[in-house]
Amino acid sequence: MVNKKTKLHYYPGCTLKEKTTNLDNTTYAVMDLLGYELIEPENWTCCGAEFPLTEEKIVGLAAPVRILRQVKLEGGNEVFTVCSFCFNVLKRANEAMVTDPLKHKRINAFLKDDIAIDRVTGEKTTDFPEYNGDVSVLHLLEFIRDEIGYEKIRSLLKRDLSKVKVVPYYGCRLLRPKGKIGIDEPDDPSIFEEFLENIGCEVIDFPFKQECCGSYLSLSMPDAASEASYNILRSAELNGADVVALSCPLCYYNLDRRQDRIKEKFPEFHEMPVFFFTQLLAWALGVDEEVLGLDQHFCDPRSAIGIDKSGVEI
Amino acid sequence: MRIKLKFEENEKKFIDRVNELSGENIYSCYQCGCCSSGCPFVFEMDILPNQIIRLVQMGREEELIGSKALFLCASCFTCQSRCPKGINIANVAEAVRHLIEPKGKDYFGPQEIPVELADELPQQALVAVYRKFSK
Ligand code: SF4
Ligand code: SF4
Repeated sequence: MVNKKTKLHYYPGCTLKEKTTNLDNTTYAVMDLLGYELIEPENWTCCGAEFPLTEEKIVGLAAPVRILRQVKLEGGNEVFTVCSFCFNVLKRANEAMVTDPLKHKRINAFLKDDIAIDRVTGEKTTDFPEYNGDVSVLHLLEFIRDEIGYEKIRSLLKRDLSKVKVVPYYGCRLLRPKGKIGIDEPDDPSIFEEFLENIGCEVIDFPFKQECCGSYLSLSMPDAASEASYNILRSAELNGADVVALSCPLCYYNLDRRQDRIKEKFPEFHEMPVFFFTQLLAWALGVDEEVLGLDQHFCDPRSAIGIDKSGVEI
Repeated sequence: MRIKLKFEENEKKFIDRVNELSGENIYSCYQCGCCSSGCPFVFEMDILPNQIIRLVQMGREEELIGSKALFLCASCFTCQSRCPKGINIANVAEAVRHLIEPKGKDYFGPQEIPVELADELPQQALVAVYRKFSK
């Protein structure tokens, strides 16, 4: 008999459907193996990527609140993300709906008159209920720690990753701003290390794990971003790591896809493979190589997990 | 020696607007410099994060308008996690950018993206950079 899967809301975010399908596909693959059927909220849109930081231009809250309201309307009481930016925006928007009465009032007034049209029947729905911040927003690393449990993960491991010397790279959005948002203590986090240990990797500590990679400055100030990214990768190398694990598609862009530009600025730079944490988990759980999307990387990461040039596991 | 500070009306208004927009209490900063010591982009900045706050405290809008530092803040919140007064400089920089925006053009708009990069850029980076640096 096939075990019935638990339904769970998942918000992928736009980058995962376009530029980092490897992150999306490995999320689906691992969650399937762990017994979950993922539901994407109907008609989801971009979350806005950046939480509005001032008190007046708050229209940026409309998109994330609308997504959360949709999860609620579909009967969900939790939604998880893997992208650190989406996680941060959804979680902060949710928090604002609980703690900031003025934002709650203004955004709900704005969203009340949304019109949803049923694709099949053409029926229109409007007059939406208020959203009060009652869906919990989780990052997959938290969901694994708190709801799936490392024990279950360990019991399902199919491949040995003990030769993978990896640094966990948190970046900014999983941990800050300090307060109620982060998935762990911003100054001394350990959740990512625990995750990597439990999937069998050799975890290396390094001082740049919470530093910013340059974020969106890689577009507007590319040199500054290259330097920030270089400092992170260089520190990982000096501390003895062979690969970097992360969860954010923008960190991945800056730390992997821009390695050619880092090299232009710092000729002594050595390329280093960068993985999404879900790729390492998928590999450990026995998922096929094609699903991992390793051909999307700038720095070929295959040999780091024991695949030779012709695609054979060694 | 005592120095008495007296602000002009427009300076006073600027300070109040930054306080209000950012949601931060600018006056609580005592210039310890923790923010600047942790900021990953100071190496490129013309003025340091603590100096952004100081210029706001002094109502010096004109000097801030010309500052490159406002556009080097990546909203990484390292300063916020370290400031003993809990000030979030990313909020302050964003508030100042909003206030000076109407006087200039977009700092970074779609025309700034090199064509050869269009294919590789992650969506979230485009959305984020426009959110931050264009109207
Ligand atoms: S860390 Fe806080 S109190 Fe210290 S200078 Fe920076 S903003 Fe001011
Ligand atoms: S939020 Fe801005 S000012 Fe603060 S540390 Fe980060 S880049 Fe520097």
